[in-house]
Amino acid sequence: MFPGAPVNLQQTTSFKVVLPFYVYAAFSFFIAAILLISNTNIFNQHYFHPHTLALTHLMALGWGTMIILGASHQLLPVIIEGKLDSIPLAYLSFAFSGIGIPFLIIGFYIFHTGWVLQTGAVLVNIGVLCYLLNVLSSIYESKKSIIHAWFIGFAALWLFSTTFLGLLLVFNLTHKLLPSDSLEYLTLHAHFGIIGWFLMLVIGVGSRLIPMFLISKYTNNKILWWIFSLLNIGLILFILIKIYALPFTFYYLPVFLILTGVGMFGWYCRKAYTVRIRKGVDEQMKISLISVGQMLLPIFVLVVVLLLVPSQPSLNLIMLYGFCVFFGWLTAIILGMTFKTLPFIVWNKVYHKKAYAGKTPAPKELFNEKIFTAMMHSYLTGFVLFIMGVIFLHSYLLQAGAVLILVSSALYLTNIVIILLHKPSKQ
Amino acid sequence: MNVKTNDDIKCNFALTDLYNVDDPEIGLNVVDLGLIYEITFHESEKKLDAVMTLTTQFCPMGESIQSNVTQSLMNSFPEWTINVNLIFEPPWDYSMISPEGQEFLGH
Repeated sequence: MFPGAPVNLQQTTSFKVVLPFYVYAAFSFFIAAILLISNTNIFNQHYFHPHTLALTHLMALGWGTMIILGASHQLLPVIIEGKLDSIPLAYLSFAFSGIGIPFLIIGFYIFHTGWVLQTGAVLVNIGVLCYLLNVLSSIYESKKSIIHAWFIGFAALWLFSTTFLGLLLVFNLTHKLLPSDSLEYLTLHAHFGIIGWFLMLVIGVGSRLIPMFLISKYTNNKILWWIFSLLNIGLILFILIKIYALPFTFYYLPVFLILTGVGMFGWYCRKAYTVRIRKGVDEQMKISLISVGQMLLPIFVLVVVLLLVPSQPSLNLIMLYGFCVFFGWLTAIILGMTFKTLPFIVWNKVYHKKAYAGKTPAPKELFNEKIFTAMMHSYLTGFVLFIMGVIFLHSYLLQAGAVLILVSSALYLTNIVIILLHKPSKQ
Repeated sequence: MNVKTNDDIKCNFALTDLYNVDDPEIGLNVVDLGLIYEITFHESEKKLDAVMTLTTQFCPMGESIQSNVTQSLMNSFPEWTINVNLIFEPPWDYSMISPEGQEFLGH
């Protein structure tokens, strides 16, 4: 006899909650790529340009946040070792964010600082608040204090801080709510989102999933607690330096702390990779692991920008930083992880009780591998060309890079549709 | 493969079918993966109790794998009452993978 008592499995989140987020994100990426092609000229202008704001928010909210919200609703039970507390809140989160984002993007693009932008900001905040409440109540109900839950809980808190500050900034454009102009707070708003939300969440989820997908026995909670502390302390220091308007040299401290955290995560992934049981690594995991390296690229650009601060860094370098975050690291990890998560969600939907009824395809067979490979080549080449274009302000390189990124977004969308329309073959 | 049982012949028959049940992520069957701990046959009651585990308690495919193991056993023993219990003590670990499974994973 075995000592363990029989256990009932945790219910996984229904695919109906999750799939709309994936579809929304795929279309957002495609539209963002079109905006990129038609606005390559913004890369030598100030980042407070209406089209830059529209493109950034489309990438950050429509693409990055929507897909992460969808995936995290699905993965929350795995991450926090509990269940998603409320399905209605998940639907509301999608509905409010999904309606709010277009208002926000259009508001920025035409720079309608009145009701269009304000409606978008309010709706997005309600959507994010629904998500935050759902995550926190799920963690509370799970009654476990595991490091991954701390990462996801804090990431959700930072996300709400980001969108709430964004809401204040939007209203500050028409009503004097804050002591200074909205532009003054833009770096705070951006880094709440980049470090607090995206980085915190990607590391929290990645530290759970990467060893799981590699079938690696490596686990090290101590190093994860260190990373968690370094990121949060770094971000809080950044806020204090900004609020108290300390000299620019002080910024090296939070950059150093965050860089150390990212470096430690890279080391964690490397260890997990080294002791993996499954020797073959699929393409989706390869691109996800590449994205871990891509985390360092924006930090490197940021250090260069800081070094140039006394002599006023050129505008294209600042834009390069944002491009490396949203079209680089974040996009790479999403391109890889989508095809590690979505096929499983659809496979579970289609084959849940049919897998034994005959030969069924593996989840990875639900998408077209050739399209996936073409997408990755197109994306990586486009990304490199675009970076060169931004550095040298070369319009042909920018256009060529943007076209390849558009091609990759179209291929991504095609594969999403292929997965979603998958039907079991007749036996 | 090291499945505890009270009837080797019936167990081997059950395993023949269970070799067709894969963990969808890994692509390896549940027997070589070492997920099946015990199969007990209660001949007089025509009842089969299986004890299995998952690679992780929060495996998103867990429900599906358990359901497919049940289906497989029902297929092998259509007249029997099938009861598949999940346990996580002892937890699954890599040493439970059979030599064939290790080879499949590239070792």
